Amino acid sequence: MAHQPPPARTASAGPPSAGGMQTPATTPGPGQGGGSNQNLNQIVLEYLAKKGYSRTEAMLRKESAHTDPNGQLITSRVEETGGKMYRTSFALLHNWIENSLDIYKPELKRILWPVFVHAFLNLVGDFYPRESKDFFEAFQELFASEHEDDLRVLGPITEPEHLQQNELAQLFRTNKYRLTISRLAFTNLIMFLEDHEKEGGTVIVNLIQNFLDVRTPDRQAAGGQRGLQRLLAERNGERDYPAEDEGIPGHNPGSANVSQSAPSVLSKLALGPMPMEPDMMEDVKAELQEQDGVHPPAAGQNSLVDEFEQRIKNEPMDDVPSREALPFPPSTARDVAMEVQKVKENRDRFRVEGRTGGVGPGLSVTMFTFHNTFDSINCIEFSGDNTLVAAGTAESYIRVWSLDNRALTSPSDPPTFQPSSSRRLVGHSGPVYCLSFSPSVALPQAQTNGHTSLDNSLDSQPRFLLSASADATIRLWSLDTWTNLVVYRGHQSPVWDVRFCPHGHYFVSCSADRSARLWSTPQIAPLRLMVGHDSDVESVAWHPNGAYVFTGSGGSDRTVRMWDITRGSAVRLFTGHVGNVTALACAPNGHVVASADDRGEIILWSLATGRLTKRMRGHGRGGIWSLDWSVESSVLVSGGADGTVRVWDVQPNKESNGKVVGEGGAGTKIDGATNGVGTGAVTKTGTGKAKKDVVVSPDQISAFPTKKSPVYNVRFTQMNLVMAGGAYLP
Amino acid sequence: MSVWNPENVIDVAESIGIASLPRDVVEHLARDVEFRMAQVVEEALKFMRHSKRTTLTTQDISQALRLLEVEPLYGYESTRPLRFGEASIGPGQPLFYVEDEEVDFEKLINAPLPKVPREMSFTAHWLAVEGVQPTIPQNPSQADQRNQELSAKGPGANSTLAAMSGNDNVSVKPLVKHVLSKELQLYFERTCSAIFEENNEEYRAAAFASLQTDPGLHQLVPYFVQFVADKVTHNLSALFVLTQSMMLISSLLENPSLYLAPYIPSLVPSVLTCVLGKRLGSPSQDGATTHFALRDYASSLLANVTRKYGSTSSTLKPRIARSCLKHFLDSHKPLGTHYGAILGLTTVAGAESVRELILPNLRAYSEGVLQDAIKDDGKREQAEHVVDAIMKGVRLLDEKELDQEALGDVVWQRVQEAGMV
Repeated sequence: MAHQPPPARTASAGPPSAGGMQTPATTPGPGQGGGSNQNLNQIVLEYLAKKGYSRTEAMLRKESAHTDPNGQLITSRVEETGGKMYRTSFALLHNWIENSLDIYKPELKRILWPVFVHAFLNLVGDFYPRESKDFFEAFQELFASEHEDDLRVLGPITEPEHLQQNELAQLFRTNKYRLTISRLAFTNLIMFLEDHEKEGGTVIVNLIQNFLDVRTPDRQAAGGQRGLQRLLAERNGERDYPAEDEGIPGHNPGSANVSQSAPSVLSKLALGPMPMEPDMMEDVKAELQEQDGVHPPAAGQNSLVDEFEQRIKNEPMDDVPSREALPFPPSTARDVAMEVQKVKENRDRFRVEGRTGGVGPGLSVTMFTFHNTFDSINCIEFSGDNTLVAAGTAESYIRVWSLDNRALTSPSDPPTFQPSSSRRLVGHSGPVYCLSFSPSVALPQAQTNGHTSLDNSLDSQPRFLLSASADATIRLWSLDTWTNLVVYRGHQSPVWDVRFCPHGHYFVSCSADRSARLWSTPQIAPLRLMVGHDSDVESVAWHPNGAYVFTGSGGSDRTVRMWDITRGSAVRLFTGHVGNVTALACAPNGHVVASADDRGEIILWSLATGRLTKRMRGHGRGGIWSLDWSVESSVLVSGGADGTVRVWDVQPNKESNGKVVGEGGAGTKIDGATNGVGTGAVTKTGTGKAKKDVVVSPDQISAFPTKKSPVYNVRFTQMNLVMAGGAYLP
Repeated sequence: MSVWNPENVIDVAESIGIASLPRDVVEHLARDVEFRMAQVVEEALKFMRHSKRTTLTTQDISQALRLLEVEPLYGYESTRPLRFGEASIGPGQPLFYVEDEEVDFEKLINAPLPKVPREMSFTAHWLAVEGVQPTIPQNPSQADQRNQELSAKGPGANSTLAAMSGNDNVSVKPLVKHVLSKELQLYFERTCSAIFEENNEEYRAAAFASLQTDPGLHQLVPYFVQFVADKVTHNLSALFVLTQSMMLISSLLENPSLYLAPYIPSLVPSVLTCVLGKRLGSPSQDGATTHFALRDYASSLLANVTRKYGSTSSTLKPRIARSCLKHFLDSHKPLGTHYGAILGLTTVAGAESVRELILPNLRAYSEGVLQDAIKDDGKREQAEHVVDAIMKGVRLLDEKELDQEALGDVVWQRVQEAGMV
């Protein structure tokens, strides 16, 4: 009923005679008759007085008191102005917050956005098309920087029925926006609103009551997070970020339980690496021993067996996932050989030990630039053994190249076929959005003095390639015969991302149908459905132990969730992104996950505590397409649409006041002096200049620009060399 | 009221036969159209994002329509951004339309096929080496980067953290001086002089033996490469020097502890010179045909290099083959050069190159150059060598592929003599 448009209120089109809430000002009648009307009242009053009808006279006087001399109604409450009430009330709230004490301002400012959205949605729902547009235009500037995408979605909503069909509007209307404001600030706000009850206070209070879930912790109790000092420090930092527990899927930080009465205890995670099969461990050890015999370790180097045993010794025993819960096919000789090579590469790798003495490590990056793509490449993927690169195109085919210029052959090639170093895989009927090679490690070969022998052991090649496409299917390709083996159907909408499990066999995909699915390669039906995101699931990543996956969402959701794949349930929920999540990567140590969005921000989350560790900015607009961690989990590398590869220091910032890192002649250097979670150093250019769009946070170690080539993929090899892939777009 | 002009709604309504629409309805519809369009664009942006593009294309829109279960618009597929024309239908009322090219069917059919677009390919380069971006043409220059925010500024910037990035002004890495130990310098001098010791066979053998086996020579490799390049360019008439230089390279290639891949591009020109050189040695001293031995040796060296390093550089083989072919096809070059070119082509790429590169040109070559040369007494000997080289290549082929037409008379005769057909 509420959505039946009462035609009387279409202010633009309504006939002048329309009654109801129509203010008389728009009707031409009273304007000219105002004077005579006033006179008439006077005459009647005089007449009544003369006749002695004193009670009638008093009644008339009382009743005509609500109109001004022009005969217009005098409104005492803002609610009576109809559609304009939200504008007046919101302006009131905004003004008050702008002029409030600095210690409350950052907190109170956060309430403006939900109030703005709900005021706007109410205006649309009550069918005030013109007023809603005016309201939107008057205040949208306030949120332009943080909620750009949302504003773009909300802007065109003008009709009540649009509210039903707009994802974002539905989310806001059917959920309560969770917000945390310290008690004192909130009390102040409510007192102010009550004082100004008639000028709009009630309107705002109603919105807050109906649509917001305001938490009011004590400032003292909340500790450092909301301490006075912290707030004062943030004044310079221009806090444009939502708090961790703020937003529509408002949650207890870290917990995946979004109900208001959720317990604050987080479910326990098994973050240790997957234990190795005992048989396989024996095999690997034997193999390593043999290798040690053939190539004794150089001076100062550990023997391979030592290295392996050290690794096993360092592995925690308590929080490891059980092998029984996650069955794998029995291991083969190839698995043993891969494991051996991993140990070897791990020993011989270039070490990236994080910052030593404050200096970031220097990384080497090889860039693979693709030419003549005409912007038709959607994704680039390197194989684990660094021999193959695959690109998925908008023209629905996949092309695989050999990186070392070796001919790619298949046993089913006709004898006249001339093998070249690239192959096309044709099968999808829509743009290919993501590729994933099955795990592989460059297997050892007779490698003397760097001359690669010609008979490369084919074994090191990955066996399979997965591709996800807009035709809602996932396909499995054999890299031995270069043919399509399996088509996995199940998703309802374009599949955005697909990833092989770090141990192979399983893979996870995510789609525009808001679900993520777990599959195993031999089965065509999904094993688990991971449902919970309120919008497209845009990217997925595996935990290195293969027991958890991460999903990142875009649209109106913008959360990162962590799922237990054996139970298929969410175990962590991270909110805090302001853009669509475009890339995810979990650290090899299994304790931190990094997520990046298309606003150029990278956030690190601690898994055990479920809290935000830090925000890092520096990338330009347009998306960070790929993230990866160094083998030691000490450095993060990212590549994005702005055509740069950036290297980040992942050490969490300390809450303390910084420490002295070195004293030179010039003075003392303080490291991390402005450490607050998420405060980037804002370049304060002169007052006249516009604020720069991109702010580089101090955690960036280095940035390497490419020549007009957006970077689609970055990857650390087992030896800590960074490989980056991008397309040259002149 | 709405961005979408309500007049359009009236136009569409009239076109489907609804003559009069109430004003209310028109405005309502106009607002709805605007909302729907925003919805489509919003969905299309998702497709743009996942295609990792920053420009929205018509394909994104049709994908979005498909996702919203609306029939996509056909006929707007385009890989390039659309060009919009503008026409005026009255003051202040511009009309935008997609420019559609008028194509004459007749012309289109008769026109030659358009050029095939270039193959998608990739190249690799170092974007950064140990945290410092090398200034090579593949990387953007300092001027290009000026408007990009590459390093943290402001009060919170941690300059020490970024010190390795090479983009800061904190410390400039000094040019690395390549320090050679005294012993190595001495070794280098001694070896170089020993190699060119014309009268002492023993010395030379010892030097080469050392080069072939010594594991500690890596630091000297660039010096040797430079040394050979110098010697070859300045001693084109001294056959002995050239031969010794080639032997030096061959010894380096044989040394199992040297990693030569990065030096191959600078080694190959010297070797090619010895294969293709116009005048190698001086005929008066060495005789007219001794240089063929050098060419033989150098071309076998070339084959060795491409076999070993062809896989590390995808352009190595084509480059060598191209320069050989160029010299082979140039009839003004002396016969010696032709000999080297044929030999080079044969050894570098085997039967494949004989079939694809030599055979098609053989007839013309035989008629244009060989026949005259064989008749000429002064050149006969050299021409015979060339014919031998061609025969070497031809032997790699199947007998089915041989016929008089393609081979030309001179070679055909030889083929018959050899009993290959």
